[in-house]
Amino acid sequence: MRDMVEGIVLTVLSLIAIWGAWQVPAAGPGDTWAGIVPFGAAVALLVLSGLVLLGGLQAMLRGEGAVPFGDTGTLDILILFAIALLYQQSFRWFGYILPTAIVAPVVLYIFGVRNPIGLVLSAVICPLVFHVLFFELLGVFPPYGEVFDLGDWLWG
Amino acid sequence: MEIFPALLSVVTDPTLLFAIILAAAVGMVVGATPGLTASAAIAMLLPITYYMSPIFALAFLYVIGKSGRYGGSVAAILFNTPGTAASAATQIDGYPLARAGKAGKAMKVATISSVIGDLMGDIMLVIGVGFIAAIALKLGPPETFAIYFAAFVVIGSVIGNSITKGLISALFGILVAMIGLDPISSEERYTFGSFELSNGIGLVPLMIGVFVLGEVFAQLEERKKAKGEIKENVTDPGGHSLAFEEYRPCVPHVIRGGFIGAGIGVLPGLGSAIAAFISYGEGKRRAKNPEQWGKGALEGVAAPEAANNAVSGPSMAPLLTLGIPGSTIGAILLGVFLIHGIQVGPTLFLTDKELVYQLFACGMLGILAYGLIGYFGATRLARLILRVPAPVLYPLIFMTAFVAAYSARGSMFDVTVMTVAGFAGWLMRKFDFNVAAFVISFVLAKGAEETFRQALLMSDGGALIFIERPVAAGFLLLGLAAIGFRIRSIMKERRMAEGGLGDA
Repeated sequence: MRDMVEGIVLTVLSLIAIWGAWQVPAAGPGDTWAGIVPFGAAVALLVLSGLVLLGGLQAMLRGEGAVPFGDTGTLDILILFAIALLYQQSFRWFGYILPTAIVAPVVLYIFGVRNPIGLVLSAVICPLVFHVLFFELLGVFPPYGEVFDLGDWLWG
Repeated sequence: MEIFPALLSVVTDPTLLFAIILAAAVGMVVGATPGLTASAAIAMLLPITYYMSPIFALAFLYVIGKSGRYGGSVAAILFNTPGTAASAATQIDGYPLARAGKAGKAMKVATISSVIGDLMGDIMLVIGVGFIAAIALKLGPPETFAIYFAAFVVIGSVIGNSITKGLISALFGILVAMIGLDPISSEERYTFGSFELSNGIGLVPLMIGVFVLGEVFAQLEERKKAKGEIKENVTDPGGHSLAFEEYRPCVPHVIRGGFIGAGIGVLPGLGSAIAAFISYGEGKRRAKNPEQWGKGALEGVAAPEAANNAVSGPSMAPLLTLGIPGSTIGAILLGVFLIHGIQVGPTLFLTDKELVYQLFACGMLGILAYGLIGYFGATRLARLILRVPAPVLYPLIFMTAFVAAYSARGSMFDVTVMTVAGFAGWLMRKFDFNVAAFVISFVLAKGAEETFRQALLMSDGGALIFIERPVAAGFLLLGLAAIGFRIRSIMKERRMAEGGLGDA
C-alpha cells in the first residue's frame, strides 16, 4: 500500500515536471533546447515512478496489507515544521530578535526541556548570542521587521 | 614534489595551524556525537566561510570532514551508537571491547589505524591526482558528460538499499538544480513566474536544510520512537594502555584497509561505509583468529577504521580533477570553491596548484592533529559529550540553521528554501530515499547539462557522438554495468535471506 501511495505521488510530481519542462520555449537556430535536460530527467522520473507503482500493485496482489504505522512522532514533526515556517516568515514581519525569543523556549519544550527557569533564560540568551555572533561579529546585516522590529527599539 | 613547499607554508602560518587544530577538535566532537554528522556541521559552518580566505575556509571544512569520520568511532566504541554510517563496522568489535573494560585500548587502536589509513589515502592522492588531472585535461564534452552520467548512475544505484529510490533521488536533485534561468539561453525553467525562483535554488540553504534541519526533524522522530538510554560502559584502568605487541597483528589489516579505502574512495558515491565493511569482511576472511571477530578483536577495529579514513583523501580526486564530488562532504567543499570564485576541474591544477597542495598539506596536518587529540583525549571527550543533553543540543542546532541560512547571502528566500529543504530531507529519509544522491546530483547537474549540450552542438544534435567516441562509450557502459552489478548483488542478498543463509 505504501509503495502504491509513493508511486502515485511520484507519478504526479513527474507529470508536473514534464509539463514544466514543456513550457520552456523552443531553441533558436543552431542552439539546443533549454528544456532538454529537465524534460529527459522528468521522463526518466515518470518511468521509475511507474516501477514503484508496479511494485506496489504486485505487493497488493500478493496480499501484503498496509504496514501499520505506530506513533513515530509524525505529528510532533509537523508541528515543528509549522513552527519553522512561521519562524522564518516572522523574520520578515518582526526582524530576528523577537521571533527567536519566542521560538527558542517553544522548541526546547518540544524536545523535552521542562525547567521553567531554563525556558525563560533561553528566550533572552538565544537571541542575544545569535545576534552577537552573526550580526555583530560576522557583520551580517540583520533581517528587518516590516511590522515591528525589537532590534530598532533596543539599539535604535 | 609540490607537497613539501606547501607543508612548509602551512606549518609557518600560525593562524592556519590554529584553524587545523580547531577543525580537528570540532570534527571529533561532531563525529562522536550520536545523531550529528560531519556533513551537517560543515553545511552549518559553510556560510561563515564567506568571511574567510579560500585556503582557510577549505582547510577548516576539509579537516572537520576528516576528523568527523574518525570521531564516529568514538561513539561506536563507547556508546554502541555509530556516529557515522561507516563506524557501524567498527562497532561490531569496538563495543564488545568496551564492555570488556578495554575501551581505552580499542580507542587507541581506532586512532592509530585511522591515522595510518588516512595518511595512506592522502599520500596516494598527492601522488596520483596530478596524473588524473593531466588525463582529464584531454577529455572533451562527450567524455566529460559520460563521466557525469556514470557518476549519476553509480551514486543513485549504489548508495542505499533501493536502486529505484536511489535513482529517483538523483533525478530529483537534477530537477531541483534546473530551477531558474538556463545559463546558455536565459530561458526560465520551473520558475512559475516567481522572480526569486529565477535566481535558482542556492546550494548553501539546500544543504543546511537537508543535512541540518532534516537531521533535527529526524532526531525528534528518533526520540519519540525510542526513549534513548545510553548504556554506561564499565571500564577497567588496565584496559586503557596499548603495547606495540598488541597492535602488531593489526598492522596487515590496517595496510590492506588503507588500500581498500583508497581504491573505493576514488570512485564517486561509494563512500566510507562500503570501504569499512569490505575491509572488515576481507580482514575476517584472512584473519588467524576469525572466531574472535565480532566478540572483541582489536584487528576487527583496526581494519574498518583504516579503510573508513583512507577514503577521505582519494575521494577528493574526482572533485578536484573533474569537478565531480564523490561524497556529500566533497559536494559541500565544491560549494566553498565556487563561493570563492575558484573553478574546480582539471584547469584547477594550472590556475590554483599552490592552493590545492596547501589543502593537501592541511589535510595531513589535520590527521596528525586529530590523531594526537584522539590518542590522549578520546575517552575524556566522550564523557564530555555525554554531559550535553540532547533536548538542548537539537533546539540550538534548529535555530542555528535559520541564522546560518540567512547569513550566507542575507536573503530571506534562502531561509524559506532551507526550511522547505529540511522538511523534504526528513521526508526523503522517512521514505528511504537517498539524501546523499539527491544533494550530489543537485551539485553535478549544471556541469552535466553544460557538457551534454556542448556535445550535442559539436555533433549538430546527433546523440551518437556519445557512442562513437570510445572513452565516452566506456563510461556510459560503466554506468549501466554498475546498475547490473547492483541488481545482481541485491538478488543474491535476497536469495541468501530467503534461504536462511544470513551468516554475514
